[in-house]
Amino acid sequence: MRLDLRQYAKPLAESALSVLIGVAVGTLLVILAGYSPVVFFKALFGGAFRSRNAFLDTLSYMVPLTLTAISFAVAARASVFNIGAEGQMYVGALVANAIGVVALPNGVHQVVAILAAFLAGGLWGWIAGILKAKRQVNEVVSTIMLNWLAFYLVNYVATYHLYDPKAPYKTEYVRETARLPELIPRTSLTLDWVLTILIAFLMFFLVWKTSLGYEIRATGINPTAAEYGGVDPSKVISISMFLSGGAGGLAGAFLVLGRFGFITTTLTNILNWGFDGIAVSLVGRNHPIGILFSALFFALLYNGALEVQVATATGGKTGVPIELVLAVMGIIVIAVAVPGLWDMVQERLLLRRKRVEVREEAAGTVGGE
Amino acid sequence: MAEYAIEMRGMVKIYPGGTVALKGVDFAVREGEIHGLLGENGAGKTTLMEILYGTRSPTEGEIFVRGRRVEIRSPRDAMALGIGMVHQHFTLIPVFTALENVVLGDEPVRSAGLLDVQAARARVEELMDQTGLHVPLDEPVENLSTGERQRIEILKMLYRNADILILDEPTAVLTPLETKELFAFLKRMKEEGKTIVFITHKLREVKAITDRVTVLRRGEVVGTVDTAEVSMEELARMMVGREVLFELEKKPREPEEPKLTVEDLWVRGEGGDYAVKGVSFEVRGGEIFGIAGVEGNGQTELVEAITGLRLPDRGRVLLAGEDVTGARPHHLYARGLGHIPEDRHRRGIILEFTVAENSILGLQRLPPFMNKWGVLQESVVRDWARKVVERFEIDTPGIDAPASALSGGNQQKLIVGREIMKDPKVVVAAQPTRGLDVAATEYIRRTLLRMRDEGRAVLLVSADLDEVLMLSDRVGVMYEGELMGVVRPEEVTLEEIGMMMGGVRLEDIKGGGAKAEAESTGG
Ligand SMILES: Nc1ncnc2c1ncn2[C@@H]1O[C@H](COP(=O)(O)OP(=O)(O)OP(=O)(O)O)[C@@H](O)[C@H]1O
Ligand SMILES: [Mg+2]
Repeated sequence: MRLDLRQYAKPLAESALSVLIGVAVGTLLVILAGYSPVVFFKALFGGAFRSRNAFLDTLSYMVPLTLTAISFAVAARASVFNIGAEGQMYVGALVANAIGVVALPNGVHQVVAILAAFLAGGLWGWIAGILKAKRQVNEVVSTIMLNWLAFYLVNYVATYHLYDPKAPYKTEYVRETARLPELIPRTSLTLDWVLTILIAFLMFFLVWKTSLGYEIRATGINPTAAEYGGVDPSKVISISMFLSGGAGGLAGAFLVLGRFGFITTTLTNILNWGFDGIAVSLVGRNHPIGILFSALFFALLYNGALEVQVATATGGKTGVPIELVLAVMGIIVIAVAVPGLWDMVQERLLLRRKRVEVREEAAGTVGGE
Repeated sequence: MAEYAIEMRGMVKIYPGGTVALKGVDFAVREGEIHGLLGENGAGKTTLMEILYGTRSPTEGEIFVRGRRVEIRSPRDAMALGIGMVHQHFTLIPVFTALENVVLGDEPVRSAGLLDVQAARARVEELMDQTGLHVPLDEPVENLSTGERQRIEILKMLYRNADILILDEPTAVLTPLETKELFAFLKRMKEEGKTIVFITHKLREVKAITDRVTVLRRGEVVGTVDTAEVSMEELARMMVGREVLFELEKKPREPEEPKLTVEDLWVRGEGGDYAVKGVSFEVRGGEIFGIAGVEGNGQTELVEAITGLRLPDRGRVLLAGEDVTGARPHHLYARGLGHIPEDRHRRGIILEFTVAENSILGLQRLPPFMNKWGVLQESVVRDWARKVVERFEIDTPGIDAPASALSGGNQQKLIVGREIMKDPKVVVAAQPTRGLDVAATEYIRRTLLRMRDEGRAVLLVSADLDEVLMLSDRVGVMYEGELMGVVRPEEVTLEEIGMMMGGVRLEDIKGGGAKAEAESTGG
C-alpha cells in the first residue's frame, strides 16, 4: 500500500531500453530511405523544444493522451480491456459542445459542460461494462461497436443540428463563457492541463487508497477471491467502466472547451486520441504517474513529427514523407509498449496458477543471482 | 554407485527483501530411500526443494547428484538429471485434459511442434498400469478431484523419467484413503529403486513411510535421523524446539440456541447436477459441528451455498435466526459470518496483494477500515494487519510484503487469523489446518475450541478424519450429497464412520437408535 519507489526502477529501465531499440530500428529505416538519422532524430525528439509555443503545445497534447490513457488504465485494473475511450471521447466532446453553445454564466458554464461530458462518456463506458457483467459480452467487441455508434451519432448531430451556419463543415463555436481559461495568454495551454494532472493523481488515490479501488484491483487480479471477499464483481466491472468512460468523456470535453472550441462534422480534429491512449497507458504500465510521463513522451513525438519534415527538407530536397515519420514513431511506440503489453497479455492468457508460478520464479531468480 | 543420490552442501537462500530462508543447509538423500523432510511453516522446506528442482536459484551452496557436482538452473536441468517435483500448490492447466497435462509442459516440442498423440497415450496408459495411478485421461483437469490432480502431477514426472521424486506436502490435500494409496505407490516406487523426498507436517506419516528424516528449523538443519530410532514426540520437539501436546482438552459444554441452520438444501455443482441433495442440520452456539466424508461428495458446494458463494436451488439457510438464503458474502460477513475457505489460492488470499491488504479481505467496506467517504483508513488497516501477524505468529518479512512471499502454511495462517480476528458469531472452517505445521495446527484447533467455548457456532469441514472426530461435538457424514447420519464422535467406531463415508446410512448400521439419540441431544 505504500508508495515504494524501487518498484518503478524496473519498468523505467525497460522503457528506456525500449526507446533505444525503437530508435535503432528506426535509424535503419531512415538510412534506407536516404535521410540522415541524426537530423531526423534530433528533430523528432527535439522538435518540441524549438520554440516556447511548440513546447507549450506539446504540453497541451498531454491532456487528451493522459485522459484516454487513464480511461484504459482504470478498466485494465479491473482486468477489462476497454478499447472504447475513442467513442467515449466523441460522446464527451459532443455533449460539451452542445452545452457550450447555450447561454450560461462564466464559471458555471464550464463546470456544467465538463460534468455532463463526464456523465455522457461514463454512460458510454457503462453500457459495455453492464453488458460484460450481466451478459458476458466481450468488452473488446462491445467497445469497438460503441466506438462506431458514437462516431455516427456525433457525425449526425454535428451535421444536422449543431453545425455552424457560417461554416457548416464544423459545429458552432462554444461560447466564451464555456471556454477554459488560458494558463499562458494566447497559447494552447489551458486550464485543462492542470485539471488533467489532478485527475491523474485522483486516479492514483481512487485505485490505491479507497475501498472501491481495492475491490477493482482485487477483481482484476483474482475474481474468485474478490467474490469471496464480499466484492460483487459485476458491480465493480460496471463501475470501473463508468469511471473509465468518464475519463474518455473528459478528454473530449477538454479538447472542445480548451484547444478547439468546436468539432468538425467528420470529427477529424478529435480523431484517434482514444486509440493513442491505449499505447500511452501500456507504456505507462497502467499507472497514473507512469501515464503522465508516457503522455509527455508521446506528445514530444507528435510535435517532433512536424519538425522532422521541415528539418529534413534541405537545399531543394523535399523533407521526409510524413508516412516515414509515422512509421518510425510506430516502431518506437511498439518497442516501448511491448513490455507493458506483454505483461497484460500474459496476465490475461496464462491461467492464474501458472502465472503465480512464473512470478514466484522471477522473484526468486532476480534476487538470487 | 555413490552412496547419495542427492547431496546439497551449505545451501544458503536469501530472498529479495532480505528473508534468509536457508542458513547453510546440508542435506543428503541416499539412493533408493524415502527421505522425510520435516519442519515448521516457513522452515525452508519448499525453498530447499525448489532449489534442487531449479525453480529457485540458491544464494550459495553446492549440489551433487550421484556424487557429481551439478548446476541446476531450471526444471529442465533437473529433469535431465532425473529429478522431478510435485509442488505444494499444483501447477496443472485446468482447461487441458489429463493427458495433455501429462504430456505437454516442460517437454521440448518434437518434430515441427507436432505430438504423436497415440504414442503418448500408449505410454501414459502403460505408466498408469505399472504404477497403479489411474486417472481419466480425456477429462479436463478442472473436473478432476484433488487426488486425481496429484496423480497427474506424479505421472507427469514419471513420464519424464524422473527417478528422484520430490513431493511437497502431497498428503495435505488427500483423503485418508487416497493417502493410503499414495503410500502403497511410494513403497512400490522404492522397491523399483526410485529415491523419494517426502515433505509433510504429519508425524504419523513420517513414521509410516520414511526411512530417514531431516528436520529443518528456521533455515537450519536440526538433524538427520533414522526414522525407526525416534518417536513422534522426539520429532515434534526437534521441529518446534519445545514439547507439543497431541491431545487437546475439550471441556464438556451445553450447546445454546441454533446459530446456523440449514434446511433441506439442494445445490447444483459445476456440471449442473445436484451436488448437495436435501441436507439439513443445525449448529448451535457453543458447538462444533463437523462434516466428514471423502472429498468431492458435496462438501465444497454445501460450504459455498452457506457462505454466499453459490446459489442453492431449494432450501433455506438461517444465520442467527435470520433467513440469509442466497445472500451475498458481504451481507453475511456484516452479520457475523467468518469463512475459512478450502482453496486458499482460489478464494482466501490474493497473492499479489500485500499482507496488510489481504488482512482486510472481506472487511474493506466495514468501519473502521473504511471511512464514510469510502477511503481506506491506512493506519487502521496497518495496525490490524500487525495484530493479525503477531497473534497468529505469521512469519513474514513485513506487512507490506506480497502474500506470495509467505510460505504456504503462513498464507493459511493469515487467512485463519483474519477470519478469527473478525470476531464472528458463526465460523465456517473448511480444511482449516491444511498445510499447517504441528504447532500451528495445535494453535488453530485450540482457537476453534475456544470459539466454541465462547458460545460461537463452528461448522468444521475437514478431510482429516482425526481432526473432525477430535474437535467436533457432533459429526455429519456426507456421501454423494446427502448426510448419511449425524453422530457423536464418542459414540461411534472408526469402522462405522468408514461405512458411512462409503454410503451406508446410520439407520442401516445401528437400526435407528443412535441417530435418534444424537439428534435429540443436538438438534
Ligand atoms: N517468493 C518469496 N519471496 C520472499 N520470501 C519468501 C518467498 N518464498 C518463501 N519465502 C520465505 O522463505 C521462508 C521459507 O519458506 P518456505 O516456503 O521454504 O517454507 P516451508 O518450509 O515450505 O513452509 P510451509 O510448511 O509453510 O510450506 C519463509 O520465511 C518465507 O516467508
Ligand atoms: Mg512449503
